[in-house]
Amino acid sequence: MGFIKKDWTPAQADEWTKEDWIAIVLSPLSYIFLTIGTGLSILLLPIGFILLALGIISALLMHLVIDPKLKVISSEFEKKQHEYLEKLEESIRWEDNDG
Amino acid sequence: MVEFQFLDWLWIIVFVLVMIGSGALFYRLGKRSESDFFLAGRGLPWWLPASSVYATHTATDTPIWVTGVIYKYGFAGIWYTFFSAWCAISAFVSTRIFRRSLAYTQAEWNTLRFGGLGAEMLRGWISGWQVFMNMFILGWVGIAMGKVCHYVFGWEIWIGLISFSAICAVYVLSAGYWGVIMADFQQGIIAFFVIVIVSMWGVFAAGGPSEIVYKLGEMGESWRLNPFAFTGWFEGDFPIAWFITMMVISILGGFGMGTSIDWYPEAQRMQSAKSVRDASYSIWWGSALVLVRNSIWAVAILGFYVMFPNIESTAEYEMGWFKLGFDFLPVGLVGFFFAAIIAIHLSTVSTHLNLGAMYFTRDLYHHYFKPKATEKELVWVGRIATFVLLIGSFFYGLMMEELTSWLIFALWLMAAGVWLPNILQVVWWRFNAWGYLSAWIANLGMSWMVVWILPSFGVIPKLPDYEQFWLLMILGALIYIPVTLSTKPEKMDHLVRYYAMSRPIGWWKPVKEEAEKRGLLKTIEPFKFTEA
Repeated sequence: MGFIKKDWTPAQADEWTKEDWIAIVLSPLSYIFLTIGTGLSILLLPIGFILLALGIISALLMHLVIDPKLKVISSEFEKKQHEYLEKLEESIRWEDNDG
Repeated sequence: MVEFQFLDWLWIIVFVLVMIGSGALFYRLGKRSESDFFLAGRGLPWWLPASSVYATHTATDTPIWVTGVIYKYGFAGIWYTFFSAWCAISAFVSTRIFRRSLAYTQAEWNTLRFGGLGAEMLRGWISGWQVFMNMFILGWVGIAMGKVCHYVFGWEIWIGLISFSAICAVYVLSAGYWGVIMADFQQGIIAFFVIVIVSMWGVFAAGGPSEIVYKLGEMGESWRLNPFAFTGWFEGDFPIAWFITMMVISILGGFGMGTSIDWYPEAQRMQSAKSVRDASYSIWWGSALVLVRNSIWAVAILGFYVMFPNIESTAEYEMGWFKLGFDFLPVGLVGFFFAAIIAIHLSTVSTHLNLGAMYFTRDLYHHYFKPKATEKELVWVGRIATFVLLIGSFFYGLMMEELTSWLIFALWLMAAGVWLPNILQVVWWRFNAWGYLSAWIANLGMSWMVVWILPSFGVIPKLPDYEQFWLLMILGALIYIPVTLSTKPEKMDHLVRYYAMSRPIGWWKPVKEEAEKRGLLKTIEPFKFTEA
């Protein structure tokens, strides 16, 4: 799947790219198909099985597209998280800073 | 009333002890710090908050209103339950942005996104409103439990309301969010397992899946199987215009923060996840499970309809799924079913007790009253706030007589006028604290005007809920857009700091350029051709 980027640098992963938009489209579609497909499959209606399969496939595709990017965003952010948390605590303990 | 045997009581007693015990076991972890008491130390793998998302949104009142809409509208009523689909986009947009902010609460996020007096006013308002809202939700799920206990045991409503919420408070008071999340994990498993058993039992009591389809056809009610059986574009009480409104609210709402009342408990789960990726998957999978569960319920209710097709009273058919469990399960399993109802109830109550207490402790006490408070003191304030919320919820619960009208008002209308501002605060750099604050103030006044006051005086007709939503959105925009544009943007220093940390989506070009100029963003190396 050359169309979908697998190797990300931290700077590239921080940008909003087409992979995000593909996930943004596939994710609600997957929810819609899973919602209708589950019920109609339990009722043993053929259309239910088709919709359920579409729901599962769209969820898998979404995962394949977005997961490599999410991994890089997460690992990069975790490196800075401690420093960010210290700043957050400083802001809530504002009396200490104001003397 | 339902008659319980020894085995039924045994299930209930064992389950309650396990639920309390599993939560209270984490007492030592919960008392370590504010971060532990409210976010379990921010180190959870995705499946723990995901199970909590699922368990929390399986409340005692959920099967009541899901049954109500499916019985009334057939399988198409499933779209009433689709508001949880905001997580579809949120999991990859607003969840990512919020998790990167590291804010404990939405109120705290407001001070990271906005600055100055406006941001502090927003923080005060959102946190106060959330303390109230959590008390309100606790009241309404509590009264639903009261109704279930009245149906099963013939108890007075207040007994069911008070007793099970009080049991839940034991582990929330002792272990905080550690107790909530660990109990939610096992409650979520029990609840899902029992929902599948009871629903399939109901389906087979109605003759099985094929028989339900056949009987609906014989009754001339095959339309009930159609998920798109609407009453016209604008006509009837279930039009396509309503469906489109629901899709817009639920799906596009994922670009914003707070577009659904479920955002607030979910935001706590996002921050408790150990990474951005874990936060995204916890929200996505927790909600996927909620939607699948609703669909399983819907089939059971179609079976219930086949067996009991002519129930006129809403209050009676709303209890349909509970009736399937209590009337059709064999002795022994009825107690198992009731134990699962307790699990469903406790998971929701525990979340809102801890969440309301977090807004009070972090945003009001810690930030405004005592910024130098020690960790030990903050945990104790969290416990006291939990207790006060519990007592307050009993009063709210006893005041709510008509469950459905409150629920619809809370889900649709209290959010209508701030739905778009909740998205704008995420995607548009120019939207400022004064614009957002004015949207809230305008919405509070206008939602009451449009829904209750103007129709009672005959100034406007009583509008369907989807028309109220669009009207409130337009009226709100007429106030907050001019307010935003006529007041100064947030300070660039503040916006740049927020941008570098959270990397929001949308219209942030001036802020991004400034952040790049200051060297705060890593630049992407331009693509170069390399010689072979």
